Amino acid sequence: MLFLTRLALKNLARHRNRTVITSIIIAFAVLMYILYDSLIGGMSEMSYATIIDYEAGHLQVVTEEYWQAEKEEEELPLEHLLTFDDRLQKEIRQLEGFLAAAPELNFLARLNNGVDELPVLGKGIDPEAFGSVFAMQNQFVEGSMFAPGESRAVMGKRLADLMELGVGDYITLLVKDKEGTFNTIEAEIAGLVHTSNPNVNQNIVYLPLALAGKGLNVDEQVSKVIIRLENKETAAKSAAGLESRVKKIDNRLAVYPWHELEAITFIDAAELEKQVIFAIILLIGAIAIINTVILAALERMGEIGMMKALGLQNKEVVFTFVLESTGIGIIGGIAGILLGTVSVALLAKFGVDFGAMAGMDITTFGLPIIGKIYGVWNPAGFVRVFSFVVLTSLLASILPAYWAADKDPVKTIYHR
Amino acid sequence: MALLELKGLKKVYDQGKIEVPALRGIDLTVEQGEFTTIFGPSGSGKTTLLNLIGCLDTPTAGTILFDGQSLGELDKKELALVRRHNVGFVFQSYNLIPVLTAYENVEFAIRLINKYDKREIRDRVMGILKAVGLEGLENRRPNELSGGQKQRVAIARALVKEPKLVLADEPSANLDSKTSEEVLAVMAKMNRELGTTFIFSTHDPLVMDYARRLIEIRDGLIAKDQRREQDAVLN
Repeated sequence: MLFLTRLALKNLARHRNRTVITSIIIAFAVLMYILYDSLIGGMSEMSYATIIDYEAGHLQVVTEEYWQAEKEEEELPLEHLLTFDDRLQKEIRQLEGFLAAAPELNFLARLNNGVDELPVLGKGIDPEAFGSVFAMQNQFVEGSMFAPGESRAVMGKRLADLMELGVGDYITLLVKDKEGTFNTIEAEIAGLVHTSNPNVNQNIVYLPLALAGKGLNVDEQVSKVIIRLENKETAAKSAAGLESRVKKIDNRLAVYPWHELEAITFIDAAELEKQVIFAIILLIGAIAIINTVILAALERMGEIGMMKALGLQNKEVVFTFVLESTGIGIIGGIAGILLGTVSVALLAKFGVDFGAMAGMDITTFGLPIIGKIYGVWNPAGFVRVFSFVVLTSLLASILPAYWAADKDPVKTIYHR
Repeated sequence: MALLELKGLKKVYDQGKIEVPALRGIDLTVEQGEFTTIFGPSGSGKTTLLNLIGCLDTPTAGTILFDGQSLGELDKKELALVRRHNVGFVFQSYNLIPVLTAYENVEFAIRLINKYDKREIRDRVMGILKAVGLEGLENRRPNELSGGQKQRVAIARALVKEPKLVLADEPSANLDSKTSEEVLAVMAKMNRELGTTFIFSTHDPLVMDYARRLIEIRDGLIAKDQRREQDAVLN
């Protein structure tokens, strides 16, 4: 076997051009996967950050009924609200790693500029608490945040442009209050924001909590309390701990970590796309290897016959071809990993601005990213793609190698 | 005991709707140490006979006893083992492995039988290369050797494991007469010194001159089987 291994290694150098070309194909496939994996990883990280920073925070305290209704019926009910009283605030503040908490009153509304009307999501907020949970304060392109108690609103620049509104203009929000009665909320636009979150830019109108509460007739109740922690990775553990404590205040309450939000689940769907790319890459590698083995076998018919005349069994002939193909897989895999390492290092350092490349704002397409996307390192992805490429090279060569080894020795010896 | 006993050996090639008989019933016995030449016109069945004896092909009918063992009872794997341990082949086109040196091509055959340690392998390979006149050329690859040198490597590869039988199919067909003579002299020497049985298939009168037994095949049958007390060259 050692001699056959040596022979297989020598054969790698024998058809140098073919080995190099097949290795390049495999290396390119590995590189593509690593780049895609890094970019998707970077995009996911940025998307998580965007959703956490502008919409979801790290934890949400809500009533279970509200959570289910919001999730399943895609409604924003006003009858399953909670009271953000001193007891609840105290419990939340005692949470390990706690940074800030902000109440929110969410409602569906129709935004009217006097001429046109658009369905929007209204959010009643406490501007001070909101500013400490969300990263909105630096995203104002015009105006500023309203003060508590004012009859003023903040909305996304894109929504304002769509409705031909600007700072100082007045808007009317048509809402249904808790009793189901239509009501209107009037407000002056205090500021316009442009964030990396397309939902904030084009769907949401922020109002002072008191103004929204009055218009919806919900007293001082809120839909949810959003909590920001020092570290997002501790969210799941913190949620479980906090939930057991807040249930003692109101047993309808539940606490959900950021990664259970629907928007996050949607981002995770990109993983499926990654699997498809992965399968395509393995297929490319397999085709390259099968092609190489068949060509090598056709060229070496006389040799295969001679090896069989020397007494080699089929499995030993197969072994030499499989080892040779695996060698190509290893060479291509290593080259791909090296190229991938350099590329990911560049991506992680300099990033890539797809928006600038395409000459447009990619948040328009619903991607919650503004500016550059930075690659992330995923060593497990490197190991995975390398292992699978080598394994694919090995497996893909077995069948053509058997085809070659099973040839009639007489025909192969006298093959010209 | 005879090394080979062939009884009623037939081989028919199926070429679509046509059946082409290559051997029509060969009865032949070859003793250990014989230096035999099979000759006859093209298509007479010489190569087919060699392939059957060498376990590379299976007969349509008849039996082959190799060293007392019926080859018909063996499966592919067992036939491969018979070739590995007992048969050496020399072909017209050498069929050397181009990525291996002369030494490694020869070493390949002896490595397969898994019988000798590293030092013995080296001694045997170097010994046989010296015997076929390739001392000093062991590190050359086939593309750095002449036709005669390549055929010598092929002979060394066939002999290094000291098989009971060496089958040589037109070994001189690609060689000039001087080189042919050198190569044949090497094989005749091995036959005398090691007692290895040689069976040649050839058209070449020079090869026939070296043989002590001449078998003529015509239309798949033995037309003549002539033994000589002495060969025409070495006596």
